[in-house]
Order: sequence, then structure tokens, then C-alpha cells
Amino acid sequence: MSDFDAIDSLLASLTPQSALPEARVRRGLRERAGLSKAQLARTLGVSPSTVTGWETGRDPSGELRTKYAYLLEGLAAKLAPSAPQPADEATAPPSALDENTTSPAPGPAADDDMDDVEALAAPEPCVLCGQPARHQVAGFPQHLDPAQCATTAPAPDTSTQQMGGRTAKPVKAAPAGRRATTASDADPSGPIAAAVAEALEAHEGDVEAATAALVKRAIPDAMALLDDCRRGGRYAIVAHPWIPDILRKQSARGADQIWEARPKWTRPGLPAGRHEVTALDINGAYLSALKTHLPLGQLEHSTGNVHDRRRAGVYLITPPAWEHGAYLPNPIGNRDEPGPLWVTEPTLRLLLRLSGPKYGLCEPPEIHESFTSGATESLLEKFRIALKDARDTALADGDEVTLEYVKAMYSKFVSTMGESNYNRELYRPDWMHLIRSQAFANLWAKALKAHDAGLTVVRVMGTDELHVVGDWRRVFPEGRGVSEVKVKDVYAAGTAPTDPAAAGHTDEN
Amino acid sequence: MPERTIDFGKYGAQGIKGHEAVARQLDALADFIASPVTTRRGLMARLHYLTRTPHARAAAHDAGLTVTDRTLKAWLAGTRSPTRQNLARIDAAYRTVRRHNVARYLLARLNRTGRGTRVEIHPLNQSGVHSSRQRVVEFRTLNIRRWEAIIGAWSSGDDRALDEAWIEQIVDLGSQWGQYEYVTNIGFAA
Repeated sequence: MSDFDAIDSLLASLTPQSALPEARVRRGLRERAGLSKAQLARTLGVSPSTVTGWETGRDPSGELRTKYAYLLEGLAAKLAPSAPQPADEATAPPSALDENTTSPAPGPAADDDMDDVEALAAPEPCVLCGQPARHQVAGFPQHLDPAQCATTAPAPDTSTQQMGGRTAKPVKAAPAGRRATTASDADPSGPIAAAVAEALEAHEGDVEAATAALVKRAIPDAMALLDDCRRGGRYAIVAHPWIPDILRKQSARGADQIWEARPKWTRPGLPAGRHEVTALDINGAYLSALKTHLPLGQLEHSTGNVHDRRRAGVYLITPPAWEHGAYLPNPIGNRDEPGPLWVTEPTLRLLLRLSGPKYGLCEPPEIHESFTSGATESLLEKFRIALKDARDTALADGDEVTLEYVKAMYSKFVSTMGESNYNRELYRPDWMHLIRSQAFANLWAKALKAHDAGLTVVRVMGTDELHVVGDWRRVFPEGRGVSEVKVKDVYAAGTAPTDPAAAGHTDEN
Repeated sequence: MPERTIDFGKYGAQGIKGHEAVARQLDALADFIASPVTTRRGLMARLHYLTRTPHARAAAHDAGLTVTDRTLKAWLAGTRSPTRQNLARIDAAYRTVRRHNVARYLLARLNRTGRGTRVEIHPLNQSGVHSSRQRVVEFRTLNIRRWEAIIGAWSSGDDRALDEAWIEQIVDLGSQWGQYEYVTNIGFAA
């Protein structure tokens, strides 16, 4: 009688033919619940393409039908109270997208030919471009149309059109096979303006809060800008090369063995009489110092007293004696210990230049060994110009938010590009030292320029401080641009300091 | 071109196995306690890490720190100090437990929800090789999307599995992947 049992059970399984909603409704229910086809298929034990079939008109049968009906019923019950709201969401374009984006198309066009493609209930960042996307492929949210990936980049800000000169260069055609050029490709300061506008909007015009928020995200933004600026560049940025021991910190809080030649010099004696000393501040010293000869790849060791102009790195040298300490600082800074020391490329080039026939200020340094790599001066050039242009525009507009943001970007970029936990994308302590040394060498060159022009150099300090006596306005233009200087302080110095401020500033007498 | 190098260093090339460089970089990202275990500060930091919770104690026990609670208490109080062997055991247990604890978060950061992480492969050092035997081995980069096997092998300290997981990834470099079996450095951020 087992035959009849089987028939009975078969009949029993047939009778409750579960009612399924219409194909379009099935799909709508799933999408509103934020479930992907793959998820649903896994739960039911079928392939995603089967689910696609059910959602385009085919009907499941048997046990699967019961399960599917149960699931849809459950979804409908869950979504019923909030039904109108998701419906709005599905039709209205999401706020995060700007108007460049074509309206989200959760229509059937995309889904008919691709099984893995799912529409998302809420936009998620695209894995390709990071902008909100409405679809996912095999579980990864992304734009279906490559053009959408490109157009979702931030719209170019109107302020960028005011910039003259450099940014007005023609847009290069993208090589075939690349993604379409984005707005930020044509105009690298676009991301900066967009970030500032976004922050101001998010904080409803509260300048201080917006500045604080921007400064906080300066490091990742600088790295993103760097990536942006390197697109189509000749050299890749090598971020994690092998680092020789001299560039490694001896302990967590210690320093490595590189001498950056930071100037700290005060003129030993002023000419007789009272003088009015002007403390000048070099604007954006680290920003200008981004233009320096940077080693591209891994540093290679070599010995012998040779300097290859096509390479850059760090050198163990015996510095020459310096006999002009009475009126000019020593280009290697005030080093107390005698003997050989590790210096960087900018310091070495400065010493070589000063020992040359044009200046003849010292003997050439003796190089003992070096760690160098093929170098280029233009590695960070586009990055520097993007920041400089944004800074210039901000200065012209009196935009303090952008100014602070740009300052945080380049200064934190330089200070965290070594062994910093705040920026693990880039691990180049050699570049950090080279850029800093370049800033110090630039300051030294300014001191020499002042001295040659007949000014009395009183003090050279840190990265950007130059104290001079005399009519400096005929030597240095005043302003806030990177080629100009800013007055920090004016004080009196000389035989009889009278006011307490001056006494604090002078070491002589 | 053999895929696996048979007699590495015969002509003076220098380098380490790729998976060792990967483990080194992962260890650097795991941020171990910097003070060595031989200092009191380093020892106490490790002991605190290994005894903070019953779960941590169990993990330390599984990782080979099989001493009694009484001994641990005495070490923590400073009334007794561990022998040299036990110091090595404490350090090893600490590394194992720390790797295991960090693995989950490191994995998420490296996978980056499917975008993966760009890995730089710096080729072996040929400076000691006679110029006629030197070959052009370029700097290469590779985007690795699936880190599960690598992180799993690293956190369990299984060198062979880590080697296999790493080779599994670098075969994507193409037919020349054998040139990158030994490297000077593997770099990536997390």
C-alpha cells in the first residue's frame, strides 16, 4: 500500500498551491528589503539566475514555491508599515549624487543579460570610483556604466576658472584603454574646492568647525590628491621600498641618523649702533620644498667620492670648514659634533654649489658612502602646483578655510610620509628628510641673497625665519604668495636694547 | 625559467623569501609592544595583555604559556621573575595571541570590501652578482583582493601554508613569477 501513501503525499503536496504575487511585485519586495538576489538564492538553495527568472515571469513550483511564497509574504508583512517611504526613495534620485549623474536606473535593462547584477535599496560606495552606486555585481557595489563612474567625480568649482596661467593648460586626451577623464583630472585643484564646499555645507557655514573637520581629513585627502596628480605620470610612486638602517628610527621615539641641516644661527655681533631688525617669514616653505630631487626607487649603496647629478639620496660626508660664521650661517646648520655625518641631497648640492667657482665659499665636501637612487625633480610637481594654485586662489578670495586646509595638507603630508602611523600609505623617510632639507637649503639661499644685496643677516632659524637689518623690500617682495615674504615682527637691537620685547629677541651683548 | 628557485644565492644574489617579507610587513602592521621582553616594562605589558581576561588567559595557555596561575600571579606581583626560557615562552605566546587578535581587523582592512590592497614587490638584490649574470628584474605591483589564506596562515604561524598562500597570489604576476620568489621587500599599507 506504499504506492497509495506516496500518491497521498503527492496530492497533499499539490493541494496548497501557494499564491504568489505578480513578478514585478516580487522583485520590488526584495529590493525594498535590501536583499540581493544572491542572498535570496542562497537562502532558498537555488542559483541567482533562477531568482531572476522568477522575478521576470517564471513561476517556481512545488516545495520551492511554498518557500518562496512564505518569504515574499514575510517581506510584504515587514515592509507594509513603511511601504510609501521606500517607494519614494526608489524614484527620487539620492541626495548624495550630484546632477551630473544620470538618474539611477533600477530598470530591467541592466538585469536582463547579467545574472550577478543586483539593484541596491540604498546607494553604497562604488568599489571602482567610491561614489554612491545603485547596483552591485556579485556582491560588490559599483556603477554598471563606466561613464557613470567618471561623471560622479565632484563637479568643477566655479572659483577655479578665476585662476590664470598654469591651470589653463589644455586638457590632455586620455590614452585609449583608460577610464574616461574625470573632472578632477583636468583640474587637480577640483577636489580641494569640492572638499571645502562640502565641509562648509556640512557644518552650515560654521567656518571654525569646517576648518577643524578639513584639517582632520587632510592626510587621506593629500594622498588622494597625490594619486590624482600622478595619473598618467611617467614614474610610479614607490611607497614601501626597502629602507637602509640609517633611515630607521633607533627606537620608537628616537631619531634616525640623518642630519637635515636645520639652521639655528644668530649673528655673533652686530655692527655698532642701534638697528631695526625685521623678522621675515618665508611663506609655504615646505610647499616650495616639494620641488626637490627625490629618489624614485629603492636606495642603493655605493662608496667613493662621487656625486651623480641624476641620482639623489643620502650621503655620508665630511663637511668642509666654514669660515664665514660671522655674517652667514653654516650651510650644514649648527652641528656640535665633529666628524662625518649623513646629509641629504639638497644639503650636499648646496655645499657643492658653494664650493664651486661661482661662489668659492668653502672647500668641497668629501663623500664617503651613499644610498641613492635615480631621481627626478618633477615627481611631486603636479601635486605641488595643485596645492599652490588652490592656495593662491584662496589668498585672492580671502578664503581662510581653504588656506588652512591646504596648509594642513602639505605640512602633514611631509611630516607623515616617513614612519608614521597616521599615514601608512607612504613609507618614505628618505623623502621626508630630503624635503625638509630642501626647505632649509632654500632658507639658506635666501639668507645668502639678503647678504649679497647688502642686508645684514641677524638670525636664521628653523624652516622659515629670517631676521635682517636694512631695506629688505628691495630684495624680497612682500606678500603671502610662496615667492614672497611676510613680516613677522619688527624689533630693535644693538648696543642698548630698551624695550623688553627686543631683549627677548637678541642674544648678543 | 624554473618557477621555484633551486639554489638561491649561488651567484651572489641576496634576498628573503616572499612569504617571510609578507610576514614581516604584517608583523609591522600588527604593532607589537616595542619594549623587549627582557625589560620590566616590556614583560609587564605582555603579561597584562595575556592575563587581562579569562579569555586571554585561555588563549595564552593555548599558545604555549602553560604555567600555573600562581606563577603568573607571582610574575605580575614582581615577587618572582621568569626564567630565560619562560621569557621566550611569554614573548612567543604574546606574539601568537596578538596576531590572532589582530587578524580579523587586519583582514577587513586589507580586503577593503573587495577592493583589495596594492602590494609592492621589490626584487632581489643583485649587487653581489657578476654583471654578466645579472638579469633585469623589475619592480612590480599587484593588487591582492583575497587575503583570507595569507592572514589565516600568518595568524596561526604556519610558514608552509603562508608560503603556499603567497605563491598562490604571485602567480598572477605572469609567467615570470618565479623571479619574485625571493625579494628584498614586500610593501603594503593597511
